[in-house]
Amino acid sequence: MTKKEFKKLFQNRLILLDGGMGTLLQKAGMPSGVCPEKWATLESDLIKEIQRKYIEAGSDIIYTFTFGANPIKLSEYGIEDETYNLNKTLAEIARDAAGNDALVAGDISSCGSLLYPFGSVMFEEAVEGFKKQVKGLLDGGVDLFVIETMMDLQEARAALIAINESCDLPVMVTLTFEGQRTLMGSDPLSALVTLQSLGADAVGCNCSGGPAEMVDIIKKMKPYAKVPLIAKPNAGKPRLENGVTVYDMDSESFASYTEDLVAAGVNALGGCCGTTPEYIRRIREVTNTMKPVKIKRKPYSLACSNRKTAEIHDTLSFAVIGERLNPTGKKFLKDALLRGNMDVVSDIAREQVEAGAMLLDVNAGVPGIDEKETLKAMVNEVCNSVPAPVLIDTSNPEALEAALRIYPGRAIVNSISGESKKIEALLPITKKYGAMFVLLPVDDNGVPETAEERIEIIKRVYAKAREFGFGKEDILVDGLVMTIASNPSGALETLKVISWCKKIYRINTTIGLSNVSFGLPSRENINAAFLAMAVANGLTSAILNPNNQQMMQCVKASDALAARDKSGILYIEYCSDISRELDKTPGKPEKQQETVLKSLYDAIINGDGDAAEELAKQALISGKMPKKIIDKEMIPAIQKVGDLYEQKQYFLPQLIRGAEAMEKAMAVLVPELGKGNEGSMESKGTIVIATVKGDVHDIGKNILAMLLRNHGFDVIDLGKDVESRRIIDAAKVKNADIIALSALMTTTMNQMPQVMSDMKRENLSCHMMVGGAVVDRSFAESFGAYYSNDAYSAVKLATEIIKRNKNGG
Amino acid sequence: MNDVKVMRSLKPVYNKALILSRLGYDKYRTTLPDKTMREIESLIKDTENTLNITAAYRIIGIKHINSPQIILEDGTTLSGKRLSKLLENSRQALIMGATGGAKIMELIAGLQEEGKMSEAVVIDAAASEITDSALDFVMAMVEQYLRPKGKFLTKMRFSPGYGDFDILQQKEFYRLLKAQDLGIILNEACLLIPEKSVFAIAGIC
Repeated sequence: MTKKEFKKLFQNRLILLDGGMGTLLQKAGMPSGVCPEKWATLESDLIKEIQRKYIEAGSDIIYTFTFGANPIKLSEYGIEDETYNLNKTLAEIARDAAGNDALVAGDISSCGSLLYPFGSVMFEEAVEGFKKQVKGLLDGGVDLFVIETMMDLQEARAALIAINESCDLPVMVTLTFEGQRTLMGSDPLSALVTLQSLGADAVGCNCSGGPAEMVDIIKKMKPYAKVPLIAKPNAGKPRLENGVTVYDMDSESFASYTEDLVAAGVNALGGCCGTTPEYIRRIREVTNTMKPVKIKRKPYSLACSNRKTAEIHDTLSFAVIGERLNPTGKKFLKDALLRGNMDVVSDIAREQVEAGAMLLDVNAGVPGIDEKETLKAMVNEVCNSVPAPVLIDTSNPEALEAALRIYPGRAIVNSISGESKKIEALLPITKKYGAMFVLLPVDDNGVPETAEERIEIIKRVYAKAREFGFGKEDILVDGLVMTIASNPSGALETLKVISWCKKIYRINTTIGLSNVSFGLPSRENINAAFLAMAVANGLTSAILNPNNQQMMQCVKASDALAARDKSGILYIEYCSDISRELDKTPGKPEKQQETVLKSLYDAIINGDGDAAEELAKQALISGKMPKKIIDKEMIPAIQKVGDLYEQKQYFLPQLIRGAEAMEKAMAVLVPELGKGNEGSMESKGTIVIATVKGDVHDIGKNILAMLLRNHGFDVIDLGKDVESRRIIDAAKVKNADIIALSALMTTTMNQMPQVMSDMKRENLSCHMMVGGAVVDRSFAESFGAYYSNDAYSAVKLATEIIKRNKNGG
Repeated sequence: MNDVKVMRSLKPVYNKALILSRLGYDKYRTTLPDKTMREIESLIKDTENTLNITAAYRIIGIKHINSPQIILEDGTTLSGKRLSKLLENSRQALIMGATGGAKIMELIAGLQEEGKMSEAVVIDAAASEITDSALDFVMAMVEQYLRPKGKFLTKMRFSPGYGDFDILQQKEFYRLLKAQDLGIILNEACLLIPEKSVFAIAGIC
């Protein structure tokens, strides 16, 4: 079957696929633990019978039972050498069952291990494995292929590349989504964009939950789909009933979702786990009188990573392409790449995305470097660090192919010019991997001066690209920015090109912005002005430095002015972010005493350490006595923080931030105590604190130590994994009132009674309080310790113990 | 079939609400200013960027259950009444583990040393939750492989240290998962180092 015939099949018609097979074979007595595909070759009559039943129920396409027949999966049974034969035999069985009544799709699914960098299977190993399977299926006579139940978009790509490199048969690809993302994090749109541009002839979803959740997935894909969409859900969720696996949905409730799926835009329907020929028959009944809906496709240019799609169009927000992953002029990046240090790459990628970049340009052009390997490593690193799609910035065909092959999304090639050698070398690679490209209006005669000359090249390159099947939405035209220092009208020529692309040619555009100001002072001013002018002329994207605030402000303002940010919502949001950044509010020196004290109180309540420190200094300058500041303002403030925490109006980070603010202010005030005539601070008591021997969890203990200090206790913190002997010695030397111990595990909590027993043996008169995840009141009381369930109640408990002590209790 | 499968550099999907809940956040009572929430979100992002999650699993047959004892096909004996109940309909068990790596613990310790305790506590909670989410990831992935065979996993999983499932049984998980190869150390008290490491078991029905 040709791809064209496959496409025709879907015209005005809903196609029915088959239903579950593995679950039916289990019911039919397939033993547990066997290789299902191997077992199926020995039970060919049973397989054929089920496949016939699906055809009789209405399936237009049946799948071969070769779901797990790839060499990596088969190696789990030690029969990887049988890959070809198993696939060929099972394809022949399906072929035989189908006769002329249905088409046979060669079924390929996951190899059962994650691909690198998450798992140990390398991308090329997966491609080669799938190719072995493809060969068997082809020789067994399949009409088309289906790649199904993939949870990793990258693995689906590997299988699709394997098929595309083996034959010209049509390929359907369905992923399995948990909710609205695959397990590896791909959303429906990124999956669709990646797969349809890589040459899939139909895309969709299968397995996972029931049909209801697939309605939303299909809805998300449909406005962008160039290919038919598939939904092949499970019969709901499985459960055990009298030791037998049953599914939530019967055939009737399953088929009741058909209308919704068709309305969402599905073109092919079927069933997965738990479904039977009866389910397909029901769908056939419902769909007999239905036709697929037609939904107008959005005209956007779409690039994506495996987790996010960038939509580019002159009606949408301006697309900022981060320029920083280019070693030209960046010695630190150059050095890092030469050393193979990819941490720098991930840091730069994150910085740019946080600053607002929608896409990232990736360039490995360092003299003397292995560009192919470096570019691959950079692309891998960016993919694993941020969801932003990438532009692969190279004219080296070998490096380009290597990077595109492993890129788990739809990249943009930057760039393809009108130079004949570049067109010949780069267009076929770009097409093979379904990438978009930046069209650079330069040809064998060099860089044209005028807009008219550039437009001629654009037309010529596009005509050539069309021969390969590219459309205008697959291209961003580079307006070609020249420096105005050497060519005063250069910027105006670029604007003419951009304007022509928008108004006449209807194609999206980009520019490498900063070139325009080369050689001039205060380059940002020129860059920002030019960017605003270009946006007004219809520019849809630019390669720039997103860390430059002036540039990003210009982008946001231009979007608002060009009505690409409806009601200026994004602009307002951006401005409020900036103002928050600038809003550092330590108390102002001219504040009056009372205001300063009130502000200090508020700073502790709000957990603003910098303000508390500054305000404590101001309070001293204004003549307030430190002890009074602490007693009248700070202690009530930290007590208020504790109250709010107890009422759950504050949660733990807020409690601790209050304590941190208190500590910062105390650091200013404590050295001043006793210098006047108001006396020094009186300690509430001495507490030796430790995490017991064997236990390494100390964050809870550290929080308590800080809170105790805040509340006026002297704290001797012995750290974690502390021997009983050290605790006893410290308590003796410091004449401690309380020993406070923490343990997080059942294996270490028994150290607590040990310390108590040592304490008694040494006749220490102090008290012990304990806490930690596994400790409870009855355990504490069993050896005479006090218990508290969190750090703040421990502070209150310590206060109470000391008070009772003083009162002779 | 009993080989340990290892996955590296995982970025599991996690639930931010569960991180906040670990920190005592009460959605009906806690008042969280936008600024504080943004700071917390930024710390969670830092956690994500610092964690280097490795997870591993293996599927192993269950030979016999006589509550509280569970005997696996390789002779390993586990013990727990609730665990026995969990596995009562299972002929196989999924043994799994995940670690967030050493770097995150260095970050938490460093912040504590600098006196940035409020940051440390958020990162500590986020690291625990995200590492735990790696086990959700493992379960979802294994379930995906099981579905076509008509099998599924128990909804719950148990970790050593909960209820009567003694923490000392971490030793069995450590051995079954060859956890030394994941960079995990088991100390004398059966604690896992790095601290953000977790083992668990679920049943295959």
